[in-house]
Amino acid sequence: MYHLRFLLLLSLFFASELVAEQPQRTSFINDVVPILTKAGCNAGVCHAKAGGGQNGFELSLLGFEPELDYRHLVYESRGRRLFPLDPKQSLLLTKATAQAPHGGGVRLKPDSPEYQTILQWIQSGSPYKIEDDRQLASITVEPASGILQRGASVQLKTIAHYTDGSTRDVTRDSLFESNNIAMAEVTDQGTVTAAEIPGNVSIMVRYLGQVSVYNGAIPLGIKNIEFPANKNFVDELVFQNLERLGIPATKVCDDGTFLRRVSLDITGRLPTARETQAFLDDQAPNKRDTVVDRLLASAAYADFFANKWAAVLKNRRDDTKDIKANFAFHAWLRDNLLAGTPYDQMVRQLLAATGTIVANPPVAWYKRVKEPKQQIEDLGQLFLGVRLQCAQCHHHPFERWSQDDYYSLAAFFSQVGRKPTDTAGEDLIFHKRGVAQATNMKTGKPIAPRALGDDVGEIPADEDPRLRLADWMASPKNPFFAKALVNRYWKHFFSRGLVEPEDDIRDTNPASNPELLAALERHFLDSDYDLRELIRVIVKSNAYQLDAIPLPDNKIDRQNYSRYYPKRLQAEVLLDAIDQVAGSSTSFTNLPLGTRAVALPDNSYNKSSPFLKVFGRPEAASVCECERVQSGSLAQSLHLMNANDIKSKLRDSKGRIQQWITDKAELETIIDQLYLAAYARLPLAEERRIASEYLRTKADATVGQQTPSASELRSNLQDLAWALINTKEFLFNH
Amino acid sequence: MNVIATDNHQRINPTQLAVRVAMTGLMLLSTLSVACAQSVILPAPRLLTLTPMGGTAGTELEVVIKGDSLDGAEQLIFSNPGIQAKPKVDDKGNPVANHYLVTISDDCPVGVYDARVMAALGISSARVFSVSDQDEVTQAKPPTTVDNAMPVQVGQIINGVLTARAINHYKFTGKAGQRIVVDCAAKGIDSKTQPVIGIADASGGDLQVQRTGGVIDYTLPADGDYLIKVHDLTYKGGQEHFFRLAINRLAADAVVQRLPRIRSVQSFSWPPVGLVHAATANEQEPNGPKQTPQTIALPCDIAGSFYPAADVDVFQFEAKQDETWWIEVASERLGHPTDPSLVVQRIGDDGTLTDVVELSDIASPVKRSSNGYSYDGPPYNAGSADILGSFTIPADGHYQIRMTDSFGGTRNDPSNRYRMVVRKAQPDFSIVGWALHMGLRNGDRNALSKPIALRGGALIPIEVVAVRRDGFDGPIDLKLDSLPEGVTATGLTIGKGKTRGILLIAADENAPRGLEFTQLWGSAEINGAITRRQGHMASMKWPVPNAASEIPDPRLLDQFPISVGGVEQAGLSIVPEVEGELQATVGDKVTLPLKLIRRGEFSGSSMSLKTFGSGFEKAAAMDFSLTDPKTDVVIDLAKLKTPAGKYTIAFYGGAVQKYAAGGSKPNAKTKDIVDIFVSQPLTINVQDKEAADKLANKTPSN
Repeated sequence: MYHLRFLLLLSLFFASELVAEQPQRTSFINDVVPILTKAGCNAGVCHAKAGGGQNGFELSLLGFEPELDYRHLVYESRGRRLFPLDPKQSLLLTKATAQAPHGGGVRLKPDSPEYQTILQWIQSGSPYKIEDDRQLASITVEPASGILQRGASVQLKTIAHYTDGSTRDVTRDSLFESNNIAMAEVTDQGTVTAAEIPGNVSIMVRYLGQVSVYNGAIPLGIKNIEFPANKNFVDELVFQNLERLGIPATKVCDDGTFLRRVSLDITGRLPTARETQAFLDDQAPNKRDTVVDRLLASAAYADFFANKWAAVLKNRRDDTKDIKANFAFHAWLRDNLLAGTPYDQMVRQLLAATGTIVANPPVAWYKRVKEPKQQIEDLGQLFLGVRLQCAQCHHHPFERWSQDDYYSLAAFFSQVGRKPTDTAGEDLIFHKRGVAQATNMKTGKPIAPRALGDDVGEIPADEDPRLRLADWMASPKNPFFAKALVNRYWKHFFSRGLVEPEDDIRDTNPASNPELLAALERHFLDSDYDLRELIRVIVKSNAYQLDAIPLPDNKIDRQNYSRYYPKRLQAEVLLDAIDQVAGSSTSFTNLPLGTRAVALPDNSYNKSSPFLKVFGRPEAASVCECERVQSGSLAQSLHLMNANDIKSKLRDSKGRIQQWITDKAELETIIDQLYLAAYARLPLAEERRIASEYLRTKADATVGQQTPSASELRSNLQDLAWALINTKEFLFNH
Repeated sequence: MNVIATDNHQRINPTQLAVRVAMTGLMLLSTLSVACAQSVILPAPRLLTLTPMGGTAGTELEVVIKGDSLDGAEQLIFSNPGIQAKPKVDDKGNPVANHYLVTISDDCPVGVYDARVMAALGISSARVFSVSDQDEVTQAKPPTTVDNAMPVQVGQIINGVLTARAINHYKFTGKAGQRIVVDCAAKGIDSKTQPVIGIADASGGDLQVQRTGGVIDYTLPADGDYLIKVHDLTYKGGQEHFFRLAINRLAADAVVQRLPRIRSVQSFSWPPVGLVHAATANEQEPNGPKQTPQTIALPCDIAGSFYPAADVDVFQFEAKQDETWWIEVASERLGHPTDPSLVVQRIGDDGTLTDVVELSDIASPVKRSSNGYSYDGPPYNAGSADILGSFTIPADGHYQIRMTDSFGGTRNDPSNRYRMVVRKAQPDFSIVGWALHMGLRNGDRNALSKPIALRGGALIPIEVVAVRRDGFDGPIDLKLDSLPEGVTATGLTIGKGKTRGILLIAADENAPRGLEFTQLWGSAEINGAITRRQGHMASMKWPVPNAASEIPDPRLLDQFPISVGGVEQAGLSIVPEVEGELQATVGDKVTLPLKLIRRGEFSGSSMSLKTFGSGFEKAAAMDFSLTDPKTDVVIDLAKLKTPAGKYTIAFYGGAVQKYAAGGSKPNAKTKDIVDIFVSQPLTINVQDKEAADKLANKTPSN
């Protein structure tokens, strides 16, 4: 293998030497800057570090501003960085080769072509531009895609395309990065090697501010797989992708598993024992579809998804006075979800909100997200799946977004007027008449509103520019808006977005199943942004209903949805689930007794509920869903096993267990009811035997013929319920 | 079981009666605790709740009142004579405390009216009492679960109260296809509740929810039982969280009529006197900039609507150079949550638009309080989000008015209407007043809701502000037209070009118990004739002990009652020792003896006095002794740059009284209470030197 790679590299080197057009003279932009980039000199942690670079030598990030770099190199530091009389003594070279002390260590070797190129540039008088200097138009990668067997390698080649029509192999000076190093790694020189995990992987290639991507499919290679029936286009495209990759799918899950899964995913609550029993008894062939429709029509659906949105829309309580605003905003989300307001309309009402919070609750977003920069960064990440933060200070390194793009988007929010209200920190929002514009902080130039490169036309002073932005977002031609939402919702149900992270959609981070993403986007648009319909088409598919228990051949799959990926119940869902099993309730300040944790309006309840905190309920500080902690921890286990709040729920005098004792219910019935409540299934024979034996255990640990006393039975029942809620089957949606 | 008849609507059994008695006891305790907690402003009668909050015209009902300092309540008085109350008496003919039998005449119009109580300390603050033409029921106890939902009929109005952290449920039966409209009045009838109403299926599952003050307009999908759910936005509850809920069935094309509501303070300046009830024209949609602008001729009076979302209405007209037009728009003042904004533009021959003027809010006549921790002025906004301004035509030509709602970008509500009047100047003014209080303790806003219930020797200042119309800037004299015996009112003129004046209402030391419903008047010379305009009065709905947790909420009052309790006297009076007018010359330093009449105990030996009176507000604070019978204060007219003229001024300041209810009795338990004390007014006649000399020369020497 090593020899093969060596030969490949060797042949590539010679090939590039032969094919590439050797520049007659050295260009600063086209030859020197890429070397600085490849060597890491202008990385964010080195000389492109914000606030002056490193040790007084500053470069623009990744060479996005070569003119600035040239000035720093040639004119600053009294000209010591370049030494034309003895070019080899230039600080640029002595530092890079560590001949002079250099914090960054050796970045170039004296015998490397890169060293020679820079030396030649200094020798030739270190010009900024040379005659016939070419201007880079784009880069492409060859091959652009391909099938990559597990363990196999492919050499990528970067071709630079110039505005004069010429091309050049710039592989050596390109940067390569895998979007999933567990699936494929890539060397500095562009050799991609697939690992063992099947699926789709991409390699991002960068050169001089241009990006391109290689898409590789790593098949498992199993042939003649039989997949569940296609119920809709979701199945068609999921199974088509699996077939292409040769990954088998698990069978469709049983009814109880489906009911529990879909209830948790749509409403954030377990099905009741009665609901489960009725569903299991139901013989209707379309009963799964029916239950989906019922769950989507319920207020619990609105509660659960309002909870999801309230966190990323930063419905955060920093002060007791925030309560009215937070309750109103959360309720607005919930009411609109309940009413089935189309998604584009909800976003429009939010982005272009005016008035007071009480009269128009989405104004509350402007209470938390105050500055235009923050507003566009949040809307970009949340509603467009575009992360714009980088572009505030420099050209986005992985994307096409420039500072002009950034500030032209901010210009849409430049006419948001504010007036103080009687509630401290709460403003009334209105459209301030005037021509919208923002100032590029780097160039100081005023910039008119443009929507990520799209011209939205001239916006007159009388028109609220945010409405024009909302129009652009909701346009069926918008390449981001619908896509970002369907990807976010797909992840909600499948634990993994078609694009990961779900809010970082870009050319260089392609979807694992682009056809499916496009089809979902189209379906969402065709339904006029109907969120319920999107959920409906997802959860009614067999792809969603696959069993969670992996097959030997799809255990390794992490991204192609060959099985349902189990997920730990969210903090609020888990607390509600425990209450539901125990027949207890949790009291939340300012809210009616019986309010479920998924219906909590803001983060303030995390302070008073150690449970919610330990299980990672977000503080609504970030627009990213990643703020919610879904990983397990020792604290979680200990809390479930030992915490007083859990014990008190099981001992609740108005709870389910006490009710059974009072009713003198049959033990077999109790066991069935507990299993139905916790797992949405009846106990297996062995489970029933063990439970039954345990419930009949006397206080002295003997299993007698006599029925245990009421207090003994109560204690035994509490133990059994405690055991059930501490199992993975309970803690996970599967 | 024995059943005790109480009125036409309710019959209660002895157990319920016992509960009521116990509740009344609790309520009294609660009243006492509130009273004890007061540390700013001497006790004043405050009517806080009425149960029920309204009734049907042509019926008699029992009303239970609760409030602060209502001891010795004699009468329950309503602002419409068609509503009369008499105390309820028990079987032995003894009055039942706080219970009244209220009769609403057949011809009493549907609406909201002020109810007040004449108590021992005088007239109370007001609370809304509603009159309807529908069947009404009163909720016996909050139906806080689905299972104990209160059965109601479509077409009824429910008088209800919320419980903290709970949801009220009302059950009705409907048929598929019926259009049900649910309306809830809460803030609009003085309640502290921000109501949330919802219609739900029989199991409580929400079908539609309304949280922003609108109605639920819902067509029933099937025959069966439905629930109406009501709760506060933040699930607050208690007696102060009352509401009236109307559940009506409407024809598909019927226009929804809202439950009547009180008026906001902002609305005092609408309509201009003489404006016809209905506009003479309507906007004609589509009249947006990209559609067909509506052609009008000035003057005009047009009714329109900010509908649909982001609606822009364009009105085009011809005008001549140098014409000046005044334009007034009402929408917020009509009770809508809108913010009208307009721009007048000249239309060039090539269609280009040039701004002539841009108009938005009506500025508040006085600086509005920030509602911050420290008190910085009365939290009344007498300005408005509406429009009042003028424009002058720069050249003969074609012009347009472009009207939008700054809050209407995403809102689709056709009920958000406006009225636009464009007229030649009709100089005029509107005035509104409220009881003034100064130097409140941090966060405490209790005093802002005080009624004009005078103690003997006390003086209450009323701040009166004016919205001036169409260029009128002359002085406005303030007057009251009828007063109880022993009460005088001194109007301190709102000066030329000013927007604020003070009215001082003073009771003689021994003024007898009395009550008068007076009227506030402003008069001014406009175009050579005296114009009189009746003013409105405003007050905060509730005593607010902590502005951080509850924002003071003002409203216009129906009436302006002034009373003297006759049972207590003011702790002190400040009387200028001047016979008639005080004569002074421009630039003088005037020394003025102020007499202290002290009837109670106070903390400290002095209080700091400031000055009321146009141009005198900037006078330096003066120390006034609380122990000496007389204090000389000095007014530096030079420093104030007071020009010649006649000025009415008064002094005021805060002092901590060791208050004992009923007056200073030996060994009475006292409480330290901060209150404002205002001197009796005096007039200063400031003359220029020449006139003063002339006067001096004419005065015979002794």
